[in-house]
Amino acid sequence: MAKPIVLNHGGAVSQFDFSKVDRKKLYGRRVRMNLDPAGERCANADLTDDGWRLIRRGMASQGYFDQDGSYLSSRDLVGLDADGNPLERVGSTLGTETALEGPIAPEVLLDMKISSVYALDALEVDAALQQALEAGQIFRFAFNYRSDFLAESALLLQNGEGVFALVGQPTESEWCELDQPPPPPVFEEEEEDDDLDFEMF
Amino acid sequence: MRKLHLTNAAGRDATVHTQGLRPAPPPERGVPGKAVHFARFLATDENGLHDTLAGAHGEDYGQALIDGDPEVDLESVGRFLGGTDKVFLSSTGDVLYAAPEVVEVIYGPDGAEKERRSPETVPGNVNETDPVIWTGKKMPKAKVVTRFAFQRAIQIRHVDGLTYDFLFAMAKELSDSGEMVLIGAGPGGKKPLVFQTNGSPYRGFLEGRIDGAKYKLLLHLSNMELKRPAEEA
Repeated sequence: MAKPIVLNHGGAVSQFDFSKVDRKKLYGRRVRMNLDPAGERCANADLTDDGWRLIRRGMASQGYFDQDGSYLSSRDLVGLDADGNPLERVGSTLGTETALEGPIAPEVLLDMKISSVYALDALEVDAALQQALEAGQIFRFAFNYRSDFLAESALLLQNGEGVFALVGQPTESEWCELDQPPPPPVFEEEEEDDDLDFEMF
Repeated sequence: MRKLHLTNAAGRDATVHTQGLRPAPPPERGVPGKAVHFARFLATDENGLHDTLAGAHGEDYGQALIDGDPEVDLESVGRFLGGTDKVFLSSTGDVLYAAPEVVEVIYGPDGAEKERRSPETVPGNVNETDPVIWTGKKMPKAKVVTRFAFQRAIQIRHVDGLTYDFLFAMAKELSDSGEMVLIGAGPGGKKPLVFQTNGSPYRGFLEGRIDGAKYKLLLHLSNMELKRPAEEA
């Protein structure tokens, strides 16, 4: 079991267990399945362009290589900034006391692209924090599930269903003015259909 | 940049530009001062797959791997893989030479299969011709952000003076009230927004911000409510 989220609000410590919430757990999912003539599920495989080999599941792998073609293990790799300089590793925040910032405005949450949602269960919660959350206040804290090179943040909030932490990265929008030239075209990737049903609708 | 056909509270419509808002990309991984590349390679051939090894050496074949490296064919393992084409294999592992039958399987939140049916193609409904509708259903921002998780946001921008007035007025109305309005597709805006064929359906909430004569009109998209799974609730 993962270590708890430990938060410090005004000097008082609160601890929460957490579990990931996703659409499969809430609404189920829809999967497109390929069937063979016997009505059994097909497996996928890859055929190399030159016809050299059929790659069945479990036969291929992927990784980083240097210019000599030598394999680099993940221990050899670090995060690099835009200039190619190594970044400091950001440790996991789980089990570590982390300061809560806020309350913050709803716009801060709206400016984030949410990548993960966790439902929280209080192991020990400070009364003042509990009161603030029940009043609809939102707080921000540093969150990193595992040690890596990307610092993420999470937003702590409560609704009628319980307490949640929403993890994501900030996005930036621009102010629009009357005489502003149009922004340069940006290639917009099409999303992939993720085969999920959505009974929310 | 995509175009969006949008109506306002009065039912007037205009075609405007949209731009997806994305976070900064995560840092690249590499070795300082060294050029590296990411590649796919052959890790083993058919003789190294579990079923083959278990057939030849029994289920507990760990020691056989250590002693004889039966999973490593020096002629092929480690070879980089370039382009490939997808093929389907039957349940017995044979290549199919005709397209397989496709079915859509619906699983419930508990993982149990609920239904099998012929797949339906759901066309996108956000485009230049079909307007997305200002439904008039408004909610305070503070309430919206505690009810939905927003995975995507799109900035809506004017293309000329008339659409500046059109979008500025929408942003001002929402900014002044501190509310967000539900945007939908189809008659009355009752349908969720689908951006491409068979794409995920999203609920769209429009948010407006004003700074003097400047505005931001942001369409926040959610496909998940903030609630606990049924077995936990």
